[in-house]
Amino acid sequence: MGVTCVSQMPVAEGKNVQQTVELLTRKLEMLGAEKQGTFCVDCETYHTAASTLGSQGQAGKLMYVMHNSEYPLSCFALFENGPCLVADTNFDVLMVKLKGFFQSAKASKIETRGTRYQYCDFLVKVGTVTMGPSARGISVEVEYGPCVVASDCWSLLLEFLQSFLGSHTPGAPTVFGNRHDAVYSPADTMVQYMELFNKIRKQQQVIEKRKPNQ
Amino acid sequence: MMPGTVFRSVLDHSLESLIHRLRGLCDNMEPETFLDHEMVFLLKGQQASPFVLRARRSMDRAGAPWHLRYLGQPEMGDKNRHALVRNCVDIATSENLTDFLMEMGFRMDHEFVARGHLFRKGIMKIVVYKIFRILTPGNTDNTEALSLSYLVELSVVAPAGQDVVSDDMRNFAEQLKPLVHLEKIDPKRLM
Repeated sequence: MGVTCVSQMPVAEGKNVQQTVELLTRKLEMLGAEKQGTFCVDCETYHTAASTLGSQGQAGKLMYVMHNSEYPLSCFALFENGPCLVADTNFDVLMVKLKGFFQSAKASKIETRGTRYQYCDFLVKVGTVTMGPSARGISVEVEYGPCVVASDCWSLLLEFLQSFLGSHTPGAPTVFGNRHDAVYSPADTMVQYMELFNKIRKQQQVIEKRKPNQ
Repeated sequence: MMPGTVFRSVLDHSLESLIHRLRGLCDNMEPETFLDHEMVFLLKGQQASPFVLRARRSMDRAGAPWHLRYLGQPEMGDKNRHALVRNCVDIATSENLTDFLMEMGFRMDHEFVARGHLFRKGIMKIVVYKIFRILTPGNTDNTEALSLSYLVELSVVAPAGQDVVSDDMRNFAEQLKPLVHLEKIDPKRLM
């Protein structure tokens, strides 16, 4: 996979999530991008069961198990600021066996689904992020296929992002970090999605707290 | 998936005869040798028995994925069944597997190096290998053989409920006598 940037697109003033997605996809089509099917990235959160905590004497950790339709035979498991394991889909079966030690956090499943667009060497995916039945935000993923080293193509990616995201263009993803010459991998994309999903979850928690008591 | 397994061992000096016979009985393929490093990890909870996972990597095939295996408790079903049957889950993973398992809370219990030969007959896998103890943890260059024998393992991974497989294994095992007598292991004897 080429170097990829995943970011959140804020909902346009006076519009809802679906309308903002439509605005964005229309801009891409006007640029000349071609629709090429759909995509989905999902994330399930697990926490260490209380029964394991006592014996290990450590604070419970959150583990994320993710899937990406771009890699249908793979499963990605990661910890925040920790390693990202790439495994085959039997890892999901193992999580069922581990249910005494790792429990799925309530209502934790979050996913993004949408359309893929190909524009020359760029692959753009605009997705609606949902938790349960509700749309909670918009994800934008842009991949520059020919290059696998972030520092070699970030300026080009940025220029392309600006052409359709305008002022909502993100900064360089934190996964690029200090590893300027490291080869980019799909695990880096999954880390970016995990960060995006966590950001949207926190935004949702703030909104819930602000709701007046009925 | 449920593997059926039978085990036995042969002394070093009988190895060549056994390999020769296996070449004749098994599928026609290039002789395959392997050198693997296996680490066994445990996750302790308040349950009575810890959760065991086996992480295996190839030491002689660069770029091969790591292999993670979960083996369930042996099924205590039909005593007439000729092979040990257990639930199993096999997962291919990236090479940061051990770091990830430690992050999950697993701790390494023991490790060893296995070197040997691999044969196939249909869906049956026959492995003849020697186990080496690792003298300095993490240093796979410094090992010593655990015994003067090679372990012989005949196994099949099949969907649950296929007992016909066990009969095929017994028939194959018959053909290896008297070089080696493959038998079902009584798991209680190993405790």
